[in-house]
Amino acid sequence: MIKLQNITKVYRTKTIETTALNNINLHVPKGEFLSIMGPSGCGKSTLLNIIGLLDEPSGGDILVDGFAIKKYASRATAKFRNEKLGFIFQSFHLIPDLNVIDNVELPLLYRNISGKERRALAAEALESVGLANRKSHFPSQLSGGQKQRVAIARAIVGKPNIILADEPTGNLDSVMGDEVMDILTRLNKDNETTIVMVTHDERMANKTHRLIRLYDGSQVA
Amino acid sequence: MLSNYLKLAWRILARRKFFTLISLFGISFTLGLLMVTLSFLQTELGANEPLSNKNDFIYVEQIRLERTYYDTITVVDTSFQNGVAVYDTTFNYKESGTGASQTEMSNKIVDNYLRGLPSAADMTMFSTSNTHDVFVNGVKLTLDILLADARYWSIFDHKPLEGRFFDSAEVEAASQVIVISTKTAQDYFGRESNVVDEEMFIDGKTYKVIGVYKNNGKIIEYVSPAAVTPYTTMNMATLDNFYFGPFEVMYLKQTHDDAEKLKDEIRLAGTKVPVDHPDNEHDFKDVVLQPMTYNEMYAQGVYYEEDAEDSYATMKWILLGLLTFFTVLPTLNLINLNVSRIMDRSSEIGVRKAFGAHQGNIIAQFIVENIVQTILGGIIGLGIAILLINIINKGGYLGTSELTFNTKFFIYSFLATLVFGVLSGFLPAYKMSKLQIVKALKENQL
Repeated sequence: MIKLQNITKVYRTKTIETTALNNINLHVPKGEFLSIMGPSGCGKSTLLNIIGLLDEPSGGDILVDGFAIKKYASRATAKFRNEKLGFIFQSFHLIPDLNVIDNVELPLLYRNISGKERRALAAEALESVGLANRKSHFPSQLSGGQKQRVAIARAIVGKPNIILADEPTGNLDSVMGDEVMDILTRLNKDNETTIVMVTHDERMANKTHRLIRLYDGSQVA
Repeated sequence: MLSNYLKLAWRILARRKFFTLISLFGISFTLGLLMVTLSFLQTELGANEPLSNKNDFIYVEQIRLERTYYDTITVVDTSFQNGVAVYDTTFNYKESGTGASQTEMSNKIVDNYLRGLPSAADMTMFSTSNTHDVFVNGVKLTLDILLADARYWSIFDHKPLEGRFFDSAEVEAASQVIVISTKTAQDYFGRESNVVDEEMFIDGKTYKVIGVYKNNGKIIEYVSPAAVTPYTTMNMATLDNFYFGPFEVMYLKQTHDDAEKLKDEIRLAGTKVPVDHPDNEHDFKDVVLQPMTYNEMYAQGVYYEEDAEDSYATMKWILLGLLTFFTVLPTLNLINLNVSRIMDRSSEIGVRKAFGAHQGNIIAQFIVENIVQTILGGIIGLGIAILLINIINKGGYLGTSELTFNTKFFIYSFLATLVFGVLSGFLPAYKMSKLQIVKALKENQL
């Protein structure tokens, strides 16, 4: 499903060169729930962004669900992200000017489907995260856990094959964190959705199928 | 997709009240003030009654008699050769100055030299600056009365509200008839209508009112006189100077393209005026007539320059400059606001791109937002323009001038604003749409 070969990421400024990822090789089969752990600044989020085609590696090859990326800014890459990938961010990244259902609908806007169908799919996604009664609320009116559930609904509304979650429980207390984790586990189990999750929380990582650890940009376990 | 963009645009405007207020204020006031300014220019300078023919007018206001003075300039250069002073004297006979006498023309000049020009379809001769104080029930009323020939009514299309205008037979017979404006009727008789056949007593003479025309409130006095009488009612015997008198001439050219041709004919007519007449007391050598179009005449009154065409060019540049200044300044402000507004939403752009939006989607979204904002601003601007025009008209702040709303100008101004609105949205949106997703997501966290 996801194949990374010799992926490196180097940030360069005029005076300094920082290696964020160093020769990462990774294979994530379909239906796997993988977690990535490591100390802050070890390159976890960078790796996730590269898998999600949000960031460009400095070297190496990447193959995601059979798609070999050639140009990051192309329409084909945008279409691929839209149809195959779903993202969950630590800080939710909900659009404050849109209400809950409009936020959830967002990925469907870039598909050729009717407004009515979009509404139905968004309502279904919200239902699956237990927020059917919050459709008309705005993000500012929700708790952190509710926001993250909206973000999950947005990530799954387009029925992607892969979900990439960057510390989805990082901003939540343990109860809400568990709720979010339960939803992700259920998604993986019921729909065979491949999930790659970055986390700092060993307890959450232990709920996934496999754990890899990064240290200073290199995979150490 | 479009309906979603529209919905989002509406929500953004409603939720970001400060930005919306500032942007709408800029757009609507620019449009509103632009409309009022254009309306004023249209009212004052537009080809509307009684100036429907103004684009075919060629005006001669004055005659100028001039001469150039020459003098001998003596220059003595002193140098020393072998300790002895040597003087080298040169004599230069050259122009040392000009003298001129200039004022309105006599009827002799008009009748003998300015009639029957081939490129003129019609012409009228009239005299301005005839101010008379009359007393109505003991109250002084000052009237600027125009003395004109009968062709005046053909060239200036005043709207007759009652009665009629005088004809050439009445001019020939020096009939003491008068055509007055509605304002004069109101001031003199206390009513704007039913004054035909009434009498007016001006400077010891009795004039019979034969017609009333709608007051137009223009600034130029021969376009908006208080009253008009046949020029022959003045004491013609006193007009004994061959060159100078009280008359000005307005021509109507044959075709739209005849302006330069007619001007040349007028200038040529000036050169035919003899300079050896006894009335040329100062021995002037040249007679000069300076013909000008109506707009050049107007500009000459505002920015006097030697040449009326230069005055008109100056006025055009100043007006163009002001219009550009007052439209460009708010546009730059709008661009600035849009840049801040769009930069502020970089994280949203990152999210949208992460979920599949391509560059075109992002640009389209922001352009739709700007179009919605500009249309709203345009509607408010329209309201402001109509309101201001009504306030100005009702308050009489421009005298008797009535501003009118010009739909065509509104559409042009609105389209220009729309173009600026789209451009001001496009540039920052284009820049932001090219932003790397990761970078966009990190900025301005939602």
